[in-house]
Amino acid sequence: MRGAMTQLQVVYAILLRETKTRFGAHQLGYLWSIVQPVLWITMFAGFYYAFGRMAPPGMSVIAFLATGIVPYSLFRETAGRCLSAIEANKGLLFYPQVRPLDLVIARVLLEAVTQVVVFVLLMGSLALYEGQLRVESPLRVVVGLGLASGLGASFGLVCCGLSVYSRSIEQLYPAMLRPLFWLSAIFHPVDSLPKGFRDILVLNPVIHTIELVRDGWFPGYHARHIDPWYPVVWILVFSFFGLSLERTARKRLELS
Amino acid sequence: MIELEKVTKIYPTPSGLNVVLDTISFNFAGQSNIGVLGKNGAGKSTLLRIIAGTEQPDSGSVHRQGSVSWPIGFSGGFNGSLSGEENCRFVARIYGAEVDEVVGFTMEFAELGEYFYMPVKTYSSGMRARLAFGLSMAIEFDAYLVDEVTAVGDARFQQKCRKAFQERSGRSCVIIVSHQLTTIKDYCNHCAVLRDGRLHYFTSIDDARRLYEAA
Repeated sequence: MRGAMTQLQVVYAILLRETKTRFGAHQLGYLWSIVQPVLWITMFAGFYYAFGRMAPPGMSVIAFLATGIVPYSLFRETAGRCLSAIEANKGLLFYPQVRPLDLVIARVLLEAVTQVVVFVLLMGSLALYEGQLRVESPLRVVVGLGLASGLGASFGLVCCGLSVYSRSIEQLYPAMLRPLFWLSAIFHPVDSLPKGFRDILVLNPVIHTIELVRDGWFPGYHARHIDPWYPVVWILVFSFFGLSLERTARKRLELS
Repeated sequence: MIELEKVTKIYPTPSGLNVVLDTISFNFAGQSNIGVLGKNGAGKSTLLRIIAGTEQPDSGSVHRQGSVSWPIGFSGGFNGSLSGEENCRFVARIYGAEVDEVVGFTMEFAELGEYFYMPVKTYSSGMRARLAFGLSMAIEFDAYLVDEVTAVGDARFQQKCRKAFQERSGRSCVIIVSHQLTTIKDYCNHCAVLRDGRLHYFTSIDDARRLYEAA
């Protein structure tokens, strides 16, 4: 049996390697994964200003968008990176101490670091610009982001396991997730939605993570319709299936 | 020490099941170098991967004492878009070895010159093998698993490889699989022949040759 130390070494080595291979030979390399979402969120904020749209009272547009888009991206990107984790790094399974799960864990961690840096950069610049920083509950923000990452990881693990059996998952995956962008209440506080619609939307676990981050960040924001345990249940269910698939996947991988 | 206990490996093929390893029990004991002779497709590489732990047997088990290398050969394990140096760093890290020492040793041993800093996909197969070989020598293992080492570089480089193993004899052992008797003669004192899923052990290499050539 290999120790936890070996696994840490392996995950760390894969993580470093991922930062180098993610954008190939591109000059900016890994920095792209931070620049892209920052630009994206800034662009959305630009639209808000251009069309005179306001964030809910007491919130700046950038902060409102970042608290929505960052948890959403954290879920979405983590899941996507996990999905391709094994396929992209199959060669590494050549080394006996590298297990499929290590490939997935390394990508989850790297994505979490990336999105947190994006979040801190945006919120930090905003705080500098406004000359003040007030976070109501850093704990809730962290839990919200953690749950978003966990949802992405566990869902990605399921997709990744399935992709070993059928490559069509990779084609289906973007179509499956596209509607989620519009069903995650990124641009609206859940409280402001009509009741019937809201009751359906809160079935989506990603909403709970976004609302949790907003509730923790903005002093006046109250997320009344969410339950932090709800995404936890999804994470447990996904993890159960994902890990079971991982156990059987390794055998199949050898044959290919 | 590496011990195989009733190891069986079966691959499904379109024409039915192919029993590559058929309940093999074998003890790769002590510090002696052992060569495994086998024709193409006899299952040599599969055997080596199972010894390494890269693959799991369908039934039976493998007991390892001490550190065992990955199967050293031409293919696998390198990322084509990373340089030789970056690949070395990665492997050093996963084995918990001193990264700079491994990089320095490999650079010197593999003799790749400027190519050491270029993407591995630009390498010839001989260069890849030299990198793989140098890298494995840079990390201390109790057992080195080598897959078809013969074509690594020219005669001078092969001489260097033999010397590197000789320096380690007593501390480490080598298990080499090959389809060439000469390779095994160069490195090993004992030999086994892998044939029809069974492993036949010989203390004399000449006896092994008789069985191997009779097939």
